[in-house]
Amino acid sequence: MKTLVCIKQVPGTTEVEVDDNGNLIRSGVDAKMNPYDLYALETALKLQEDQKGEVSVITMGPPQSKEVIREAYMMGVNQGFLLTDRRFAGADVLATSYTLAQGAYQAGDFDLILCGKQTTDGDTAQVGPEMAEYLGIPHVANVKTIVECKENSLIVEVEMPTSIQTVEVNFPCLITVEKGIFQPRLPSYRLKKKTKYQEITELSLDHFKDINEKRYGLSGSPTQVERIFPPEQNTTSERWEGENLGDKLYQTLVDLKFLYENK
Amino acid sequence: MAKIIVNQEKIKDIDEAIKLCPFDAIEWNEKEREVGITAACKVCMICVNKGPEGAFELEEDDIYIDKSQWKGVAVYVDHDEGQVHPVTHELIGKARELADKIGHPVYAVFIGSDIQKQAEDLRYYGVDEVFVYDNPAFQDFTIEPYTAAFSDFIDKVSPSTVLVGATPLGRSLAPRVAARFKTGLTADCTILDMKEDTDLVQIRPAFGGNIMAQICTPKHRPQFATVRYKIMDAAQRLDKAVGKVTNCEPPKNLASAIRVLDSKAKEIEEDIADAEVIVVAGRAIKKEEDLEMIHMLAKELGGKVAVTRPLIEAGWGDPKTQIGLSGRTVRPKLMITCGVSGSVQFKAGMTNSDYVFAINKDPNAEIFQVAHYGIIGDVYDVIPELLAKMKKSEEVMA
Amino acid sequence: MKFKKVEQQDIAFLKSIIEKDRIFTEEEISEDFSRDELAGMRNMPEVLVEPISTEETSKIMEYAYEQNIPVTPRGQGTGLVGSAVALYGGIMLNMSRMNNILELDEENLTVTVEPGVLLMELSKFVESNDLFYPPDPGEKSATLAGNINTNAGGMRAVKYGVTRDYVRGLELVLPNGEIMEVGGKIVKNSSGYSLKDLIVGSEGTLGIVTKATLRLLPLPKKTISLLVPFHKLETAIETVPKIIKSKNVPTAIEYMVKDTILSAEEYLGKEFPDKTSDAYLLLSFDGNSKEEVEKSYEVVADICLEAGAIDVLISETQERQESIWSARGAFLEAIKSSTTEMDECDVVVPRNRIAEFVKYSNELKDEFDIRIKSFGHAGDGNLHIYVLRDDLAEDVWKDKLDKVFQKMYDRARELKGQVSGEHGIGFAKKNYLEESLSVDAMTIMRGIKKSFDPKGVLNPGKVS
Repeated sequence: MKTLVCIKQVPGTTEVEVDDNGNLIRSGVDAKMNPYDLYALETALKLQEDQKGEVSVITMGPPQSKEVIREAYMMGVNQGFLLTDRRFAGADVLATSYTLAQGAYQAGDFDLILCGKQTTDGDTAQVGPEMAEYLGIPHVANVKTIVECKENSLIVEVEMPTSIQTVEVNFPCLITVEKGIFQPRLPSYRLKKKTKYQEITELSLDHFKDINEKRYGLSGSPTQVERIFPPEQNTTSERWEGENLGDKLYQTLVDLKFLYENK
Repeated sequence: MAKIIVNQEKIKDIDEAIKLCPFDAIEWNEKEREVGITAACKVCMICVNKGPEGAFELEEDDIYIDKSQWKGVAVYVDHDEGQVHPVTHELIGKARELADKIGHPVYAVFIGSDIQKQAEDLRYYGVDEVFVYDNPAFQDFTIEPYTAAFSDFIDKVSPSTVLVGATPLGRSLAPRVAARFKTGLTADCTILDMKEDTDLVQIRPAFGGNIMAQICTPKHRPQFATVRYKIMDAAQRLDKAVGKVTNCEPPKNLASAIRVLDSKAKEIEEDIADAEVIVVAGRAIKKEEDLEMIHMLAKELGGKVAVTRPLIEAGWGDPKTQIGLSGRTVRPKLMITCGVSGSVQFKAGMTNSDYVFAINKDPNAEIFQVAHYGIIGDVYDVIPELLAKMKKSEEVMA
Repeated sequence: MKFKKVEQQDIAFLKSIIEKDRIFTEEEISEDFSRDELAGMRNMPEVLVEPISTEETSKIMEYAYEQNIPVTPRGQGTGLVGSAVALYGGIMLNMSRMNNILELDEENLTVTVEPGVLLMELSKFVESNDLFYPPDPGEKSATLAGNINTNAGGMRAVKYGVTRDYVRGLELVLPNGEIMEVGGKIVKNSSGYSLKDLIVGSEGTLGIVTKATLRLLPLPKKTISLLVPFHKLETAIETVPKIIKSKNVPTAIEYMVKDTILSAEEYLGKEFPDKTSDAYLLLSFDGNSKEEVEKSYEVVADICLEAGAIDVLISETQERQESIWSARGAFLEAIKSSTTEMDECDVVVPRNRIAEFVKYSNELKDEFDIRIKSFGHAGDGNLHIYVLRDDLAEDVWKDKLDKVFQKMYDRARELKGQVSGEHGIGFAKKNYLEESLSVDAMTIMRGIKKSFDPKGVLNPGKVS
């Protein structure tokens, strides 16, 4: 079985701030692998242990994103692809998904593509399904358990609004996994030594089938960020005394939408 | 292609220019002997706005779209085996407000099996037209047939805006459809507004909620947004049905590579660490039986019960539900503490909760320092009163 | 010891100098104040007072000294040996309200705090100023004065030493109510006996700490941990002296066994990143760059592999550090929640003897047919061994506990160890201290107590 895991390098912390002019204040903290991707990676490695096969990772980003591929090697991944090109810059969800899909075509034929639930910087949780659409394969999102891996299909449990469904999906397919599906392993020092000089395949737009620049980066991004600003903090600090406190509490819970008032 | 262009001669201090970028995308290219922009660029425009005059410029493409060809604010009807998810009513409420600003109609698109009755019911929430794809093939949610029907709706109706609930289902379906139309999708919006030119103003949190971003989709239609449950105000149910229901012919190919084998009710998460609502019982609870009201309250709110140390030592609670620095740290959206004094350990385990209501008789209790709403009163008065009020509205409903 | 009981007139006096909402009597006193974390012994104070200044503390102490009323100072009550239990009733001083960080002196690299500042608050504060307070006891919600009074050590003792190494100066209220300062912001001090160092570790028996000036270091920019799995605990612990010999000093070297990890998983409801092996060493390294830290950990990682480690697992990011250290932080609570009652032995032995001691405690488990769990600071020789009661009857439990403890303390002495590494003597370990020290040493200790507190009113019944 050939598996591809999409990973991303994100800032080491989400504690970013915005200054009065609406600009991000640089935190200067190290970058790291998106924590949610670790679950996807662990799922792929667990399946590989059971099934035998190869696990590859793919990431889009600047050259320093190689670090997350090195980390994936230290966890037991066989092959890594870095999609890097300044023409990829400024990509939103759609352009990112398109670039990853193009990269996946170049990286090989995969039975299974795995994505984390979301990233800690963008928080959109949309790249997996969009990528599946571009690859023309089915996807299952919010997978919380792998029930069985068969020769031509995968049986998984997914979380729906009010139920847990067991579904079987044929290969090739893409799944996005929930946090906690498996506890991610730690990188191994033995593997670090072994993979120190292992190659990372770099791909740019010139390697892709679709070399139309307009589909990538900012040009390929329908959404535009108009401004960023700090969130409003909940600075409420009220004291209630006296009578009918339960009624007041009820009303406040309704106002805050924690309760539905039945009229 | 749109990108940031560097006008080298306008840069006086190269190091300062490099420091401008919060994403480290500005670099000194040794080979070319010039300042360059790397693939890390997010086109956040900080360098354009904050850098030396004219040094960084945005080069834009020209795409033209005739926005008048796209009309209507459409809501995807989220449901589980025909049972409509309440987020749908919230989105209809918001859609009406947005649509009224630009004189557009409100649409609903309902894909499922045996859903005529539910579709009719949506007319009581002020939808102008409910487009129904009713077919046994839509019995279970599988991505390909649902995407096909949703796309068929967009092809036929050309809505300007599409709102989808950010439920597990919506977050799977919306991006798939958006990608099919190669258009923008903004996830988990908390604020939505409408510009005169029918551009949807979408505000959403990023970086784990540490910043907010305002996003637009100026050159593409339809514009997709997903919105979480319990963010928008639900549409009021009307006395009389309005609008109409239109049954649509499903697209031809409804095959799927996915088969739903089984479906079971979701169990409430055992672990308080992930709970969105937590009711905490503290020292003021005098007898083990009295915990019953705490459990009732938690049940009504769809939350979990946690206890503090004195109750664990009394053997009334599971140590696994003890909140604290060396126990479980929690960050629920809602926490109600009932007679909790607020020890250092406890407070350290819950400081990131969104809304904290603390009920305690002692006005000097430490817990009030971290509570957004400090209720100075006896839990034995406040909680029964609250429960009674909840019950009452249930009876009215029945 | 004969003390005066607290009477109405004493309360009246207290009310004359302190606002009455900071004075508690009888039912107003929470049960928490009758005990400490391990709750082995309980006794209620007759009156609980919450001073907010040195002056108030001094006036109360002066009065109590005159009246011969015992006084027990207390912080967050996270101790394990009963040091903060009012054995003789009297007045308990809850110092928690004095919790201001008074001054950060970046020129002298010191921070001055009131006694009730919590360890976790201090580290957060200094780290936000790019500074570092190295002592790192497991209980982060303890007060600084509590740390000072036990000379707590913590995880980073291997590289950075213990609390005593970071106390520069103290302000004290003496038993007779006088206010005194010892030490200061000075780096060196050869001016007579070091009273400051006597106070550190005195468990509130010599004076009440009302202010402390602590030494800080620049904050290391990068920390990483290594989780090193071994087939056997012995092999793991025998590796420790080899690591220390390599001169690449980790900040912490902890050991843990699968059993304890499983308890913590159960308690926290979180999975540990690896539990395929029976025993683990957990090492931490810090430094100013990734490269620097990498260089020193790689040497140590190679030593571990040569010594028989299965692999060396690397933890660098926040999530990974949390997945390991939150489990480490919950060991005590996890073990506690797995039994009905327990007692702890906190011996310290020379680092190259720790393997022997751990092995010995495992033998005792079989010999006495009782559950014994341990984890600890392999890098500094300080062990935390817990004997669990489970469903034993009271008399059987007491009997077994006494025998097991006696054997452990005897063995520690043979290995040239000491009774307590960081939790102190309090009331619970007094007999073992007496046995382990010479008659002369105990006489000198009692003499010191007498010089500070001739009437013996301050925290009576503790240490010596």
